[in-house]
Amino acid sequence: MFEQYLSLTHYDIYFFLKAIGMTLWITLVSITIGTLIGIVMGLIRCSKNKIVSAIPLIYIEPLRNSPLVTQLFLTYYGLPVVANIVLDAQAAAIITLSLNTGAFFSVLVHSAVKAIPKLQWEAGFALGHNRYSNFKNIIAPQVLRLLIPSAITLYINQLQVSSFVSLISLIDLTKAGHILTLRTMRPFLIYGIVFVLYFAISYPLSKLAQRLEKKVAFNF
Amino acid sequence: MAMIEVKNITKAFGELVVLKNFSVDFDQSGVTVILGPSGTGKSTLLRCINGLETIDSGDILVDGLSVREKKNLKDIRIKCGMVFQQTILFPHLDVLENLVISPIKILGRPRNKAIEQAKELLNKVGLMDKLHSKHNELSGGEQQRIAIARAMMMNPKALLLDEITSALDPEMSTEVLKIIEKLAKDGVVMLIVTHEIPFARRIANRVLFLEYGSVVSDTSNEEFFTTVKNNNERIARFIQNIHH
Repeated sequence: MFEQYLSLTHYDIYFFLKAIGMTLWITLVSITIGTLIGIVMGLIRCSKNKIVSAIPLIYIEPLRNSPLVTQLFLTYYGLPVVANIVLDAQAAAIITLSLNTGAFFSVLVHSAVKAIPKLQWEAGFALGHNRYSNFKNIIAPQVLRLLIPSAITLYINQLQVSSFVSLISLIDLTKAGHILTLRTMRPFLIYGIVFVLYFAISYPLSKLAQRLEKKVAFNF
Repeated sequence: MAMIEVKNITKAFGELVVLKNFSVDFDQSGVTVILGPSGTGKSTLLRCINGLETIDSGDILVDGLSVREKKNLKDIRIKCGMVFQQTILFPHLDVLENLVISPIKILGRPRNKAIEQAKELLNKVGLMDKLHSKHNELSGGEQQRIAIARAMMMNPKALLLDEITSALDPEMSTEVLKIIEKLAKDGVVMLIVTHEIPFARRIANRVLFLEYGSVVSDTSNEEFFTTVKNNNERIARFIQNIHH
């Protein structure tokens, strides 16, 4: 009887695989776009000009301080109403997750740049580097080393919160779990598999983050 | 024309005026030691010459180039290499890369030439065996010697050394001061802010004594440690206090 409880059809397995693909696809695309947005916004935040450095906060603060679910609903259900823009679930998911990732990543970038001691900049200037050369050759490589572990942790988090896209009917891993549960009436099995799959993707990444943190860490 | 002409500069940090109507010239030869109590503008003077601090009024000309024009700063900083009190090696690079990155990127020197020069300088400072060490594998004295070699990689006309042994213990200080003496013997022009009186006596051609942002005394080494010291109670007290 337990064996009967465990058995899934080929179709179920295929359905899960497709859903994993969707989860990975929207996560990868949104963290790529989000990273680029985050780098730009984070660097603008580093501007010496107080007004310029405050501008990205108009974008960052609302997204960091509101639930992803509400952001998702506003994009998917709100845009058609206020701007006559109708997006399919995948586009809405990617746009929302990208903007959300960008907001958090910009904070990481800003913090990492600020963490580099002023003396590192001065040492570069004293050797004849201008601001651009200093940043490119001396500061940015250090910023990258500080960023990598936190970035991976953020990406793992975004993979997991991507499960919210199931609420706008996108068939990701969580939605697949919901649909298969309704079909098979085996919630423990199905959600157990969903749990294991999320863990199987996230855990190696978190181990990678730990290893990279040890490898690239340095003290000033 | 003097190599460095400091013309009537004033520099304040908020309401604190550190250098006021300050003028001095530095020739293209010899070692000038700058002495004085803390907070009297010695480090600020070096930082203003290197363009790390902007002056509020007056001008500084380095080989005829004004520090007030941003476009001159790169050339000024190449002509006047600076070594700081805290050792500031780039932590993501090993010793060799620390030395070669700036000549390659800024002066356009070919990598093999830069490496050749780096090895020569590391030999000179006695650290050839640390070629591929990272900064956290080096002692404070070793880091400072490498910082000096790194500044020399740019072939500067003068070296500005800002209390480079202050953060080091006596043993490490001695290592570093030996290197400075070697460079002085090789004819490298230097402006040195230091509290090491015996070192100053050995190495300086000229001694400037600053107080309250002004030059109190500007004489030769010999004259400073004899006539000036004997005739100026303040200076005599300063030397005595530092020496102990």
